[in-house]
Amino acid sequence: MVLEIIVMVKQVPDSQEVVIDPVTMNLNRSLTRNVTNRADENALEAALRLKDSVGANVTVVSMGPPQAETTMIECLARGADRAILASDRFFGGADTYPTGLTLAATISKIGKFDIIIAGEETSDSSTGHVGPGVAEFLDIDQVTYTSKVEYKDGYVIAERELEDGTEVVKVPTPVLVTVLLNSNVPRRQTLRRKIDAIRKGFEVWDHDRIGLQPEWVGVRGSPTIVRRMRPIKERERAAKKIELSAVGDLVKELYEKNVLKLEVDS
Amino acid sequence: MAGIKPATPASKPEEYKNVFVYLETRDDRLLRPALEMIGVGKKIAEKVNEKLYCILLGGNIRDQAKEAVSYGCDVVLGAESPALATYRTLPYSHIIADFVKEEKPNIFLIPATRNGRDLASRIAVRCEAGVTADCTEIDVEQDTRILLANRPTYGESMLAEILCKRHRPQMATARPGIFPVPEKVKSAKGEIRIREISPDKAILKKEILEYRKKNVVDLTAAKVVVSGGMGLGKPDGFKLIQELADELGGVVGASRPAVDMGWISRDHQVGQTGQTVRPRLYVAVGISGKIQHIMGMKNSETILSINTDPNAEIFKYSDYVIVDDLYKAVPALIQEVRKYKSEKQVAPTEPS
Repeated sequence: MVLEIIVMVKQVPDSQEVVIDPVTMNLNRSLTRNVTNRADENALEAALRLKDSVGANVTVVSMGPPQAETTMIECLARGADRAILASDRFFGGADTYPTGLTLAATISKIGKFDIIIAGEETSDSSTGHVGPGVAEFLDIDQVTYTSKVEYKDGYVIAERELEDGTEVVKVPTPVLVTVLLNSNVPRRQTLRRKIDAIRKGFEVWDHDRIGLQPEWVGVRGSPTIVRRMRPIKERERAAKKIELSAVGDLVKELYEKNVLKLEVDS
Repeated sequence: MAGIKPATPASKPEEYKNVFVYLETRDDRLLRPALEMIGVGKKIAEKVNEKLYCILLGGNIRDQAKEAVSYGCDVVLGAESPALATYRTLPYSHIIADFVKEEKPNIFLIPATRNGRDLASRIAVRCEAGVTADCTEIDVEQDTRILLANRPTYGESMLAEILCKRHRPQMATARPGIFPVPEKVKSAKGEIRIREISPDKAILKKEILEYRKKNVVDLTAAKVVVSGGMGLGKPDGFKLIQELADELGGVVGASRPAVDMGWISRDHQVGQTGQTVRPRLYVAVGISGKIQHIMGMKNSETILSINTDPNAEIFKYSDYVIVDDLYKAVPALIQEVRKYKSEKQVAPTEPS
């Protein structure tokens, strides 16, 4: 019996070259290149390593517009066995709630799974909320922010990185795991695998195929709305130029303005 | 509860009252983000004339409950059990979702720490609520009691104001290090309601085998932070940074590229993927000022930057700039601080 692993991935705008439309204050998607979310590449790699070590079927699942096909092919070319893109005009404009709902419904439609792996967060919205949301919809446990994931005899043993330490956890499957950005080095796509991937193709599932009502998903199914966007205004600062010869005066000024203090304080 | 179903709007949003904040703990001690939540939660509760409820779970939480009251919490809702001594997703999310269903809060704030994010989205789905992640500005509309959750987006260049109009509670996670720790309240009065709970074994299957505590440099509490970047040119440059930090009674920070080079450990990283600091004085040495760094320090009270490049981006965010070789400027600063102190005749300060 091999493990059934689901990997959740998302195609995101390349964070290096985000272009904002100065009129609408929205992302100019026509000028922005799309890439696979980098932490999701680490998620796929974590899954493929489990496949290498204990044997697994790896299915990649994504929600996105048709152009996410490049991400689906890329995941197959790296070694995933199957790829499903949940794509439907009704899915657009979703906040984290219906995004999690759509992915969870897609996963439960696939059938049995042991481990779901996702990146810690996506670089375009940086919420980290979709993974745990999916786990809640599917009523399974989760281990987030992991740097190391192993599987043994029905348990996942993982290391979670918190702000002040590393937690080693052991949890029975089925379980959802999120992995940290850069927690491994993703393998490259080979030309051979890429040709196979294109030949093999991926599946596109719409709301009907997944069994979702149009009003449950996308913008209509989202509890939150963006009311407005504004550029982040910073406090004006003087950038007063200090010559080396005047550093003594600067130090005096900082102490006199109580920016620096002679007494120890906390 | 769980199950694949859409979020149903609250039938009577007006029945939802008061502000919940989640108090994150480690080893039964309140973490700094917990105090930050009390500060911002209290402000919002007072604006709409409601109470601040603090949600506290753990193995032994009596002292922390009192501490929360001393910072201005009106009601502590606690759950105590040896099984809750360490944070675990399932028991924490189930118990807190039950608190939400009983008390019907209008607003619920959770720190956007790793465990906070692990928890918040589970509660939101469980309660069919809306949640806005990683907010840096939080306010409430007085007449409608609508939460104004603001979060940076598009590479931190824009601020999105996000509302949750029909679902309750209105949830948000708040970025740590942004909201100030409140002053303690004199003669604080608050109600403490702690119940002993034995969670169902079915949700206690996750075992924490080990916790390896990192030797973390807490930059967020420091009054002075001196940070070094690529301009140092070599790992040894951090010795000079340390020397200045020691002289100012501060701590050492670093830009991400310097950390990535291995010049200093990641614990020192200031920025979007590091710590967010707001000290009285921030000194940026040899740091160009990429947005990822700026996000972590721009709220410092006073900023001094040292860089040879007169067009360095960091200067736009600085109160004082020294356009010169840092290996001249930093020793000059150290010398002048020593001189000033010896004129005032005081002993060197300890790191604060």
